Amino acid sequence: MASFASDETISRIVETYSPMLLRLACTRLDDPADAEDVVQEVFLKLLTARPSFRDSEHEKAWLIRSTLHRASDLRRSAARRNVPLEEAAQAAVPSEGSALLTVVRALPEPYSAVIHLYYYEGYSIKEIAKLLGVPTPTVGTRLAHGRERLRRLLKEDDA
Amino acid sequence: MNREKYKAAFDQIPFSPDLQARTEALLWARLRETEKETQNMNFSKPKKLAVLAAAAVALLAVSVSAVLFLTPADVAERLEDAPLAAAFQSDDVVVLNETAASGDYTFTLLGMVSGEDLSALPAEYNGETVRDRTYAVFTVARTDGTPLAEQPELSYSPLVAGYHVSAVNGWTLGATCQSFVEDGVAYYLFDTQNLEIFADHTVYFAIYEGFVPSPAQFPTAEDGAISLAEDVTGALFTLPLDAGKADPTAAEAFVKSTGLEFISGGEAVETEDDAVLSEN
Repeated sequence: MASFASDETISRIVETYSPMLLRLACTRLDDPADAEDVVQEVFLKLLTARPSFRDSEHEKAWLIRSTLHRASDLRRSAARRNVPLEEAAQAAVPSEGSALLTVVRALPEPYSAVIHLYYYEGYSIKEIAKLLGVPTPTVGTRLAHGRERLRRLLKEDDA
Repeated sequence: MNREKYKAAFDQIPFSPDLQARTEALLWARLRETEKETQNMNFSKPKKLAVLAAAAVALLAVSVSAVLFLTPADVAERLEDAPLAAAFQSDDVVVLNETAASGDYTFTLLGMVSGEDLSALPAEYNGETVRDRTYAVFTVARTDGTPLAEQPELSYSPLVAGYHVSAVNGWTLGATCQSFVEDGVAYYLFDTQNLEIFADHTVYFAIYEGFVPSPAQFPTAEDGAISLAEDVTGALFTLPLDAGKADPTAAEAFVKSTGLEFISGGEAVETEDDAVLSEN
């Protein structure tokens, strides 16, 4: 596996993974600008830490986990500092589809990550288990519970 | 759930159109800097010796500062949490100062305190305020004395003997963590739902390289004791909790609430629901 140490590799990795990682960060963060910061930080981390990957799947899993980790940390810090991120996001994000985004972000991270990788990225339960490093049945359960919570939250939102 | 509707919601998020170009430029610039630094390190032998001597002095300084870490109260102060700083100075604090080295790092668990409304910033989990929490302060430093410029990529989680590591961990307990780097040492203020309910079991605190704890990283012995796998960089501390404060009913209720109570004997058992989903 090539290391992240040439201009070509940097371009390949940024172009291949940026869209997916940005969307994934948005399952935890309301403001797209925060998601952009997170993804840049993750790429910088990859450049400085220079982890060695077995294959491209290992590389992808590292990027996905690092993005979720960093996005959750940022969200927790913001919540603890009582930063009104949601208000800012409501101004920044168009209204269509925003109800769905809001309820996805309201899910606990283990559920929202699984829901997103399944529904947007189209990964199978087994593939998600590999990417997140958790047992396959756990992913199945999180998907089922996450789906149920989403249904409930969307119903409440309609009411 | 309609997949197309889901995709449409995420596709409408307005990201900066030039983000990829900016990111690539940023990374290329950083790569140039790193290459320059590497070239500068190819210096002559006398210079090398001088640097080694300086490094030895730095190492000595780090060894001395090992006993001069910020206190847990200082860490809470730095994070603008005065009530928690006061709690770390109260009689309820458990001073630990336990150290373990693994991989490139030395981990030190400085102290912990548990109770209701200790922090100025109550934590939320699943939309509910969780007032009763355990707070722990720990540090990570490079064992060779090289100062850290930023926090290493690590995970941190409580684990409880007798419960599956997937069921009781920082993720299911709604843990949060704040950190900063000072004088080359990374300081962390970790908080989680009050761990005292599990005090009739051995309660661990793990700092490690990895993500959500898995049985491969944290093998469980037949008696329920949890250990850190040899190939995992990290440390597993035992927390000295007061067994008198255990609440087995609350502990069981918590495990049930995670939806992972079906996990037993170190292996996850596939439920009927999972089987249906697996077929999809």
